[in-house]
Amino acid sequence: MWKFTLRRTLIMIPQLIVLSILIFVLAQLMPGDALSGQVGPDVDPKRLDEIREQMGWNDPWHEQYGRWVGGILQGDFGDSYRFKIPVSELIGQRIVNSFWLSVATLILSYLIAIPLGITSGRYNDSWRDQLITGYSYIGFATPLFIFALVMLWLFGFTLQWFPTSGSVTPGLEPGTFEYVMSKLYHLLLPALSTALITTYGTIQYLRNEIVDTKQKDFIITARAKGASESRVYNRHILRNSLLPIAAFFGFEITNLIGGSIFIENIFGYPGMGQLLVESITLRDYTVLTATTLLFGVASILGALLSDIILSIVDPRIRIK
Amino acid sequence: MSYLEVNDLKVHFPIKGGVFGRTVGHIKAVDGVSFSLEKGKTYGLVGESGSGKTTTGRAIIGLNNITSGKVMFDGKEITNMRRAKSDARKNIQMIFQDPYSSLNPKKRVVDIVSEPLRNFENLTRKEERKRVQELLELVGLSPESILKYPHEFSGGQRQRIGIARAIALKPKLIIADEPVSALDVSVQAQVLNFMKEIQKELDLTYLFISHDLGVIKHMCDEIGIMYKGRYVEEGTAEDIFNDPQHIYTKRLVAAIPDIDPNKREEKRKFREEVKVEYDQSYNDYFDEEGLAYKLQPVSDTHLVALPEKG
Amino acid sequence: MENKAEEVKTNQPIKSPSGFNIIWREIVRDKLALLSLAFLILIIAFVYGIALFLDQKEIVKVDLFSIYEPPGEEFLLGTDYGGRDVFGQLIIGTRNSLTIALLVTLLTGIIGVAYGVISGYFGGHIDNIMMRILDFFMILPFTMIVIAFVAIVPKYNTITFSLIMTAFLWMGIARLIRSKALQEKELDYIQASKTLGSSNFKIIFTQLLPNCSSLIIVTMTLNLAANIGLESGLSFLGFGFPESTPSLGTLLSYARNPQVLEYRWWIWVPASLMILLLMLSVNNIGQALKRAGDARQRRG
Repeated sequence: MWKFTLRRTLIMIPQLIVLSILIFVLAQLMPGDALSGQVGPDVDPKRLDEIREQMGWNDPWHEQYGRWVGGILQGDFGDSYRFKIPVSELIGQRIVNSFWLSVATLILSYLIAIPLGITSGRYNDSWRDQLITGYSYIGFATPLFIFALVMLWLFGFTLQWFPTSGSVTPGLEPGTFEYVMSKLYHLLLPALSTALITTYGTIQYLRNEIVDTKQKDFIITARAKGASESRVYNRHILRNSLLPIAAFFGFEITNLIGGSIFIENIFGYPGMGQLLVESITLRDYTVLTATTLLFGVASILGALLSDIILSIVDPRIRIK
Repeated sequence: MSYLEVNDLKVHFPIKGGVFGRTVGHIKAVDGVSFSLEKGKTYGLVGESGSGKTTTGRAIIGLNNITSGKVMFDGKEITNMRRAKSDARKNIQMIFQDPYSSLNPKKRVVDIVSEPLRNFENLTRKEERKRVQELLELVGLSPESILKYPHEFSGGQRQRIGIARAIALKPKLIIADEPVSALDVSVQAQVLNFMKEIQKELDLTYLFISHDLGVIKHMCDEIGIMYKGRYVEEGTAEDIFNDPQHIYTKRLVAAIPDIDPNKREEKRKFREEVKVEYDQSYNDYFDEEGLAYKLQPVSDTHLVALPEKG
Repeated sequence: MENKAEEVKTNQPIKSPSGFNIIWREIVRDKLALLSLAFLILIIAFVYGIALFLDQKEIVKVDLFSIYEPPGEEFLLGTDYGGRDVFGQLIIGTRNSLTIALLVTLLTGIIGVAYGVISGYFGGHIDNIMMRILDFFMILPFTMIVIAFVAIVPKYNTITFSLIMTAFLWMGIARLIRSKALQEKELDYIQASKTLGSSNFKIIFTQLLPNCSSLIIVTMTLNLAANIGLESGLSFLGFGFPESTPSLGTLLSYARNPQVLEYRWWIWVPASLMILLLMLSVNNIGQALKRAGDARQRRG
């Protein structure tokens, strides 16, 4: 067990290095440097060159890369071109917002997927199963952003049940009960929209898992010994079928990261995904580099997590 | 000068392990096998599954990499032949165990049988088709079925297609890897007799690999018995069946079923006696690791793996 | 011999139905897939046909006298904030979206199949290294990386856009083909080909690939549906086609303006329906193909 975890973690190191090089090269290709935002147009170009030399921007690329990585490891992502404040400050609150949105989405999608998957698997080929399978097929074929738009239009604008932008009602004191409730209220519609449309994978996986398990010998043995139907399901089938779902956890994170950019932009939710799009519109390249890097790191960690969970759940993986 | 000569053949597979997936050991699938085969004869290679007999055959034809040792064919060395198109490739062909997986399911019979022809001979479409039809006729299939797919044939018929493909280039040596063990018993004899017929007709040499001593007895002139990658005994069919020297061979021969029901009880007693002898003298015939010793000659044709005297 | 009796005595060889005949039969039997295919062919013919007579420059020209016109006589589906005809944009947008989705599917298919076959067939160290590279690409968050690239590419146009998409989308099919190739190459028919003197190159093309063909067709069909969604998603965010070449996503992106979303349904609803119908019908065909490839699930 620890051997696999160690090996899998070691694989992550080159992945992180390659990712950082990729992002660094991207950053180098971007037009302008930190000075272009900081100085006025009246500054003598010669003086600019001097500053560039002083800052070490003419050094060989590997030295610059080393400094850049060193800075990031200490939490220094440089300064925003546009807002003239450290990028880390800009990101701070956004990351917290995105984090809570992801947690809410995960909870909701499991709340939807597990009962539906169990019903579908337990009563397979009944009308209930067909209904659920139909729903997950629609979910599979519908792009997230179209569904989110429809949800926003219906529940946000037409019915006006939910707020249509922001992460909290302005003017509330942080830390108060109202503040937390308002945050939750703002989270609900974006999280629900994502959960409803991305949960099809888990439902289908759980269904097939239960249908497979139902026909295994140990279930037939349990039935033959006279165990009640509910006992067969709760003690035997679910215990075996729910475990693989745990392994989906890491993949869910990767999916959420990809989806967050649409959801946050559609619902005007101030998270990392919105920041990424804004930074491009404002040509704020240090912010763009930092957000892309953070998204990449989060995906790598998500993959690591799911592989480790998978190896705990399914011992066969470890042999590889 | 023998036709095919295998000298101290070793095929080892690495075992990967540890945090970095390094090689931590080897599985010695074939560990020092030597034998030679005369032209026009059939040599049988016998052993239980995992004894290395199939690996030996596949190593000779180049499907498994040879770790060390030498393979000579018709006076030329063919160890680890890499090139796709060489004379040795043309002259050595193989019949595979599983008639279901050895034929490409997406190809029509004409394409399957003509594959070697396309590689080695420049024939026009028409000539090619004619050759395939002749070959099918030779193996007893209807020449009209050249446009069918393999799944439309029975196991025995599919094995005939495999044989037609193997003899298409008029090879000199055919390695037959358990050619009948996937077939129904009723079809086995048909295919075996047919293989004997074409052996005479085309002057073929067979290396016949099987776990079934009955089949081997029916087909082979000379026999080698393998156990855990090594030889335990080698000799003519006469030597092996009438005068087995090694305890392992004795047990194998004792296990051949007899059709005469009157002798059944007698057979069973004999088998039990051999089993007792096997258990008692196991340590005399195998070394500490349970492997066979080096071969020692007991007659001109007969070699047995026995510990060196003294 | 044993088979002579059951064979019909004719001089003409008996020809059995090929794999493609089976696929065709399966689609015809599946009413939903047949309907989807008919719809798709109709849309493609209509969109590519009409687009020949429509002038893209004319449609995307701003007309300040007819801003936000609702659907009516003059404009079948109304106009957008620039007074541009939504119906015309829908036709051209569908054509552009389909073209790029097809292009990306084809490119990722070629790269993915080549990569997967090489990795799986040769195995060993080559496979190890190639899979490490693939895993890395797999992990990258697709939307973010594509957006970052789109933002910095200097000469940005349809070609560079499809190349950027391709660069981060070939891994799925590569992985599927690789595991199929790993399975197949252990089968005796591949081994037999080696003993029959076929070169590796020839074995890959004449033996291995035909056996991967149904997997390739199914995966590419499903990818086509996914790519329609991905392209419109990127265009929706403003990182796909430029506004001068409208795609279905461009029309949807107008809905990021709450005014449009709430009051001007004619701009974004038709495009949404078009995307949904296209993706659903391509998926339906893909599922039918999947069943055709798997003899156990065949309906007929």
